[in-house]
Amino acid sequence: MPSVSNSHKTSEIAVSVRGLGLTYTTAIDRRPTLKARVKALGGGGKQTRVIRALDNVNLDVEYGQVLGVIGSNGAGKSTLMRVIAGILPPSQGRIEVHGSVSTLLALGVGFNPSMSGRDNVFLGGLAAGMRREEIENSFAEIAEFSELGDAIDAPMRTYSSGMFARLAFSVAATVRPDILIIDEALSTGDAKFKEKSLNRIKELRSDDRALILVSHAMATLRDVCNDVVWIHKGKVIQRGEPNVVIDAYQEFLKVGKSAVIDEDF
Amino acid sequence: MNAPLQVYEPFRAGLPPLKRYWKSLWGRRTFISEYSRSELREQHFDSVFGQLWLVLNPLLLSAVYYLLIVIIQGSSDSTRYAHLTATLFLFYLIANSLTGGVKSITAGQRLILNTAFPRIMLPISAVVIAIFKFLPTLIVFIVIRVCVGLSFTWEMLWAIPILGISILLALGLAITISCINVYFRDIASFLPYMTRTLLYLSPILYEASSLKSNIRALEVFNPLFPILDSWSRTMVHGQAPQTSSVLQGLAWAVGIFIIGSYFFLSREREFAVRL
Repeated sequence: MPSVSNSHKTSEIAVSVRGLGLTYTTAIDRRPTLKARVKALGGGGKQTRVIRALDNVNLDVEYGQVLGVIGSNGAGKSTLMRVIAGILPPSQGRIEVHGSVSTLLALGVGFNPSMSGRDNVFLGGLAAGMRREEIENSFAEIAEFSELGDAIDAPMRTYSSGMFARLAFSVAATVRPDILIIDEALSTGDAKFKEKSLNRIKELRSDDRALILVSHAMATLRDVCNDVVWIHKGKVIQRGEPNVVIDAYQEFLKVGKSAVIDEDF
Repeated sequence: MNAPLQVYEPFRAGLPPLKRYWKSLWGRRTFISEYSRSELREQHFDSVFGQLWLVLNPLLLSAVYYLLIVIIQGSSDSTRYAHLTATLFLFYLIANSLTGGVKSITAGQRLILNTAFPRIMLPISAVVIAIFKFLPTLIVFIVIRVCVGLSFTWEMLWAIPILGISILLALGLAITISCINVYFRDIASFLPYMTRTLLYLSPILYEASSLKSNIRALEVFNPLFPILDSWSRTMVHGQAPQTSSVLQGLAWAVGIFIIGSYFFLSREREFAVRL
């Protein structure tokens, strides 16, 4: 095999998470304001509560692995992904990342709804530390994969949620980092696009890449992943063979195998 | 590609490693230019009428304020109009940095939650946008200056360091207020009152020399006062500014920039959970 630029051997560690804990205080008020703070001075009411989002999480992801992450809403899946991407600093523990991470870049696309899809893709990429030429090179592919046509130059506030998701997924699937994180938020769109993106994920599986998929689509995860981790209330409950872990999770949910959770993503 | 190893550990209070921060900021400088360009394009400032508006807006403003001066004082002259436009345009550089900067972090929520990058890029971009809006007004002022018949002098080169100080102050203010807005979201609604107050406290509608000495003494607390006074002296009157004013302005700008940046940098890793 000719030497390629990305030369990670299979089963080399990509991400190592040790004793990760993350707590944060969140405001009870919907919006923290000076007015609310001043008002609370007299009453002395507590303004915040502490949330323990992740608790002693240990996780290794190796190159060549396709790891599915499952768990109920609010289990801490997205938080864990953000810590791995370096967006949230951990409160305890240590995370080592060997390689470049997609940094959930795709979900940052569309941060400025009054700008066009094109501008948003460029800005998101530049913020993630890519060079202009790199983005220019992959832009045609992104635009084509998203099938947005002329809409790519329309302001993103005019996009439907499906169009939004298409663009986000296209960015995620075109930028080729060593470690690719695909969050469930990406998995919307019509049936045709879903199939297309599923095929793309299968294409992206390779020995020198680690893929992390956060999803509620159990059938997809059974199909694509070679490893699944189940997170509940910030703790790792089980990790291993996709079918085993997913069965245990579905048992836990007491819904069994039903059409609702088996639904493809 | 040699696998870059990144380690994330709990951060202690205080600053992130500055050298690495700076490297990562410098590596993303194209973001700042691209962001300001897209933003200006989105506000249609790339079209002829958009640019015309960029010039027309401050001109109309200065006309309104000039009217105010004439009514209150009963009379005025052309030098006075030059002073008004020169200082008003520079004031708007700082005021636009503040209004653009205040929401830069909260508006960039999507990006902040999903991408790791030096957050300080966002308020810096707001200042760059304000500078781009300021440049055409500078040309308008030069034209006004020629029309009014004021002579050009070498002392006017002092304008360059004074503009530098103003931009540093604008940066410091934008960085500080964007950080404050994360914790107190209603700052943005107080901001118009604050900029309006600053406008009246600064030597724009009047000249610094016409102030009573007891009021003048209080102006040491206004960071804009020495800067706008020096700006008017060089750009309108063609004189060298008072050294004490320049130093005072510089001290304010450096002070606010350092304190604001320290605040911002030591807090920014927390922004993602605050949004």
